[in-house]
Amino acid sequence: MFDAFIQGLLIIFEWQTFLVMLLGIFLGFWVGLLPGLGGSTTLALMLPFIYKMTPVEAFAFLLGMHSVVATTGDITSVLFGVPGEGTTAATILDGHAMAKKGSAGRALGAALMSSLVGALIGALALALSIPVVRPLVLTFGSPELFMLAIVGIAFISSLSGQGGRALLRGFLAGLLGILFAMVGEDPQAGIQRFTFGQLYLWGGLDLVPVLVGLFAIPEIVDLAVRGTSIAGELPEGKLGKGVWEGVKDTFRHFWLTVRCSLIGTFIGIIPGLGGGVAQWISYGHAVQSARSAEERSGFGKGDVRGVLGPGAANNSKEGGALIPTIAFGVPGSSAMAILLGAFFLQGIMPGPDMLDKYLILTFSMVWTLVVANIITVAASLLFLNQLAKLTLIRGSILIPFILFLAFIGSYTSNNHLGDLIVFLFFGLLGYLMVRCHWPRAPLVLGFVLGKIAENNFYISTIRYGTSWLRRPVVLILMILTLVVIGYPFIRSRKRAVAAGAVT
Amino acid sequence: MSLLWTRTRILPFVIFVLPWVILGFMSPSPSHGASYYEGKMVTIVVGYKPGGGYDRYARLLAKHLPKYLPGSPVVVIQNMPGGGSIIAANHIYAVAKPDGLTIGTFNNALVIAQLIKHEGAKFDITKFAWIGSVASDASVLAVRSELPYKSTDELRKAKEPVILGATGVADTSYIFPQFLKEFAGFNFKMVTGYSSSSDIMLAIERKEVDGRAGSYASLLPFIERGLVRPLIRSRVSAPGIEKLPIDENLATDAKGKAIMAVRTAPTLIYRPFVASPGTPAETMKMLRDAFARATRDKELLAEAEKAKMPIDYFGAEESLKVIHAVLNQTPEMVQEITKYMQFGE
Amino acid sequence: MKTSINLRFLLALAAALAAGYALYASWHWPFRTALFPRVIGVPLLGLALFEMALSAFSSEKKPEGHAVDFALTTEVDPTLAHRRTLAIFTWTLGFLVLILLTGFPLAVPLFVFLYLKVVGREGWGLTLLLTAISWLFMEGLFNRLLHLPFPQGWLFSLFGY
Repeated sequence: MFDAFIQGLLIIFEWQTFLVMLLGIFLGFWVGLLPGLGGSTTLALMLPFIYKMTPVEAFAFLLGMHSVVATTGDITSVLFGVPGEGTTAATILDGHAMAKKGSAGRALGAALMSSLVGALIGALALALSIPVVRPLVLTFGSPELFMLAIVGIAFISSLSGQGGRALLRGFLAGLLGILFAMVGEDPQAGIQRFTFGQLYLWGGLDLVPVLVGLFAIPEIVDLAVRGTSIAGELPEGKLGKGVWEGVKDTFRHFWLTVRCSLIGTFIGIIPGLGGGVAQWISYGHAVQSARSAEERSGFGKGDVRGVLGPGAANNSKEGGALIPTIAFGVPGSSAMAILLGAFFLQGIMPGPDMLDKYLILTFSMVWTLVVANIITVAASLLFLNQLAKLTLIRGSILIPFILFLAFIGSYTSNNHLGDLIVFLFFGLLGYLMVRCHWPRAPLVLGFVLGKIAENNFYISTIRYGTSWLRRPVVLILMILTLVVIGYPFIRSRKRAVAAGAVT
Repeated sequence: MSLLWTRTRILPFVIFVLPWVILGFMSPSPSHGASYYEGKMVTIVVGYKPGGGYDRYARLLAKHLPKYLPGSPVVVIQNMPGGGSIIAANHIYAVAKPDGLTIGTFNNALVIAQLIKHEGAKFDITKFAWIGSVASDASVLAVRSELPYKSTDELRKAKEPVILGATGVADTSYIFPQFLKEFAGFNFKMVTGYSSSSDIMLAIERKEVDGRAGSYASLLPFIERGLVRPLIRSRVSAPGIEKLPIDENLATDAKGKAIMAVRTAPTLIYRPFVASPGTPAETMKMLRDAFARATRDKELLAEAEKAKMPIDYFGAEESLKVIHAVLNQTPEMVQEITKYMQFGE
Repeated sequence: MKTSINLRFLLALAAALAAGYALYASWHWPFRTALFPRVIGVPLLGLALFEMALSAFSSEKKPEGHAVDFALTTEVDPTLAHRRTLAIFTWTLGFLVLILLTGFPLAVPLFVFLYLKVVGREGWGLTLLLTAISWLFMEGLFNRLLHLPFPQGWLFSLFGY
């Protein structure tokens, strides 16, 4: 196995493969950056081109492209508050807030460096888990998936904020999110729920228009109201500390970054959870890591940890998502489903063969993840400080372009007018929520996890009756749910006790 | 604060953005010529998102069609997902111009949607300018290989309910076994809600469910791997499973058999391609010829083989025969079918 | 007790209405289809009514608690902020209308031009340059390269293009 490991590395440096990987990286850079060029859509578009390549070249190209998308998607999120990808919306909360305070460079540095750390950890997990992945994935059945969704939803308590009123609104947002998730055809009886007779809504609400509306519009409104550049009125007229500060931040909070990477990897491994979840759960975890109530109230306003968490997670989940794709032929995310098509196109059957006949190819994929991300981050770091200067441009010049990106980004979900309507609806909702101090993260969490919870609940009950409640992993996850919900309360109790003891 | 618009700012922008824009404009643009399609662009509208089966077939054809269309136009794909491909079908029917420049591909089961008078279908599938179908598909029920059921009889006699996974009640994975349960007395327990057929395969490995029904093409990799064993097939066959018993023959009464037949019929024209109603006959001839020849093209067949995409061309006449056969039901029959079959995403 | 109908009240009301509608719609659905909507709808309705009450009866000069989210800027004079908010929403909706009327590929440069000129009051040179860039992007990338389907603008359909 070890020489396959080394071989996998050497093989991607053969000049054709390397060139093709660079091309993939170049494309992926732009795909991630621009809302409207979805990572999955572009992967599908590239499929016909890989027919002529050898398997190693093909995957170096596709993975090179795909692994970079999550990294650069953070850039648009931080700079403009528009999610470059569906998976980079969480970075907006603190990343864009930092940009508004003049620290865009720092936020970008943090996002990129944490992306790299996340990608490396994801790749490492992929490499290490190759022998043990089967029992791991097989343990997580529908009951466990349901509980995982519940654990995710439990993070609402951490993402709501301080105080009882905030918690109330957080739950309101979360419940609303779950309600929105139920729009569409019901798999149990085929009944259309909440679709108002619109064909467009049959498949449910798409994540991207919802996210773009929810996050981009309020930021655009705020920018218009302020009448300044994104960075606002700065003391000395200079941008804050730059990219290197952000890079250093990643290492200042290294263990948080690692933990969030692991969360992302884990979520990526479990097929069925989807990519949108990882960033929010890590964000919730980052909030939990705040040591005091004041620190926690800094989240959403420009705490760099709010950038590190999601930044790491949405890259590490890529490595994670490759695992079930390679080992079982079951895609861990929709992008992986397309990658699977690439496997078939190359005549390769993912499964036990990948760990045997095609071991070198598998390792070359691991190395592609690593090398592609290193190259991207290294190249980006060179001009990120310049990119940060975009936040100095007058808002009135940027707004039409940001709106353009937001509109086209939503439209390419389904190439349908409905996308724009959904985008505007959630834009209005997002604005109202911010105005009324309703936290938006719980809504997203509920929306992303709602269907997973419902479908797996029914699968579990139909299949197992009630016995699934007694499965060991389910019980563990139930306890985890209680811990996650109770965490903020336990924390403040402990502090109150400590403060009481001191006085 | 004034805009810092220095030279150094524009340059990197130019280096990074301009190539894209130039690339875009380099896409072939109109010129004038004698043959109909010269200098033009043909669009294939796919009723699903990129990456799925219909999309892949469309892209495969898009690559090789220009060779066979007079004037060698560029063929591009547009994805118009939604409503189980009804949105795309409605578009080709009513919006696209009948000039042979727009082709559509959508779910073959739309004919059933029309049969049961589904509200969203705003087309008459017989009125499309049919080109044909490039593949047929067999529906197969497969169960985990380790299970003791090696034949249909054993399956039918199973004492424990056989648990089958499905995505939704409008999907083949549900309907095919459900019919066997209703009309042939099989002891199945259906579990719906899986997000995709691959998730069901994983559930099979986990022993959460015992098997699934679906298109033979999608199950083949798992059959070859030895995970599942095919036991029953539909009337439309495929190489390798001819010997399996047919679902219709297992039905205990004539009504059941007829309903199963209606379900199966459209799968003969699994990947249909049509043009807008009213497209002139000469244009249709060009399109039909091109498709017929493209599906015999050696390169296309080699690529399809490699990608495990079966190619099985049915021309316009045969496709329409299938369509008419499905639609030609007595009102009582339609009522019965509506009771048992749904159309959805 | 001072009561007021403010924005927070209205938002909570909207949530309550959504919950109510969900419960109403689920009335005739089979059990499994209706379960989750009801399980979500009931607490949603309850909490929303609670929030409505709280919003009506307290003026919340200082936001109670803090949400993990950004807060709209307060540095700008409220009347000006109000006007600008209305303006940006109008422009955004206007963009949609423009897309419907002229189709996406034309709407984008048109919008950029109009916004830069009217709101930004930028000079002609910059405006035209940025309009050209936006047009290049829209046409070159999304239209020519990616062939995204853009429905024809209504204006064009009207004149029989």
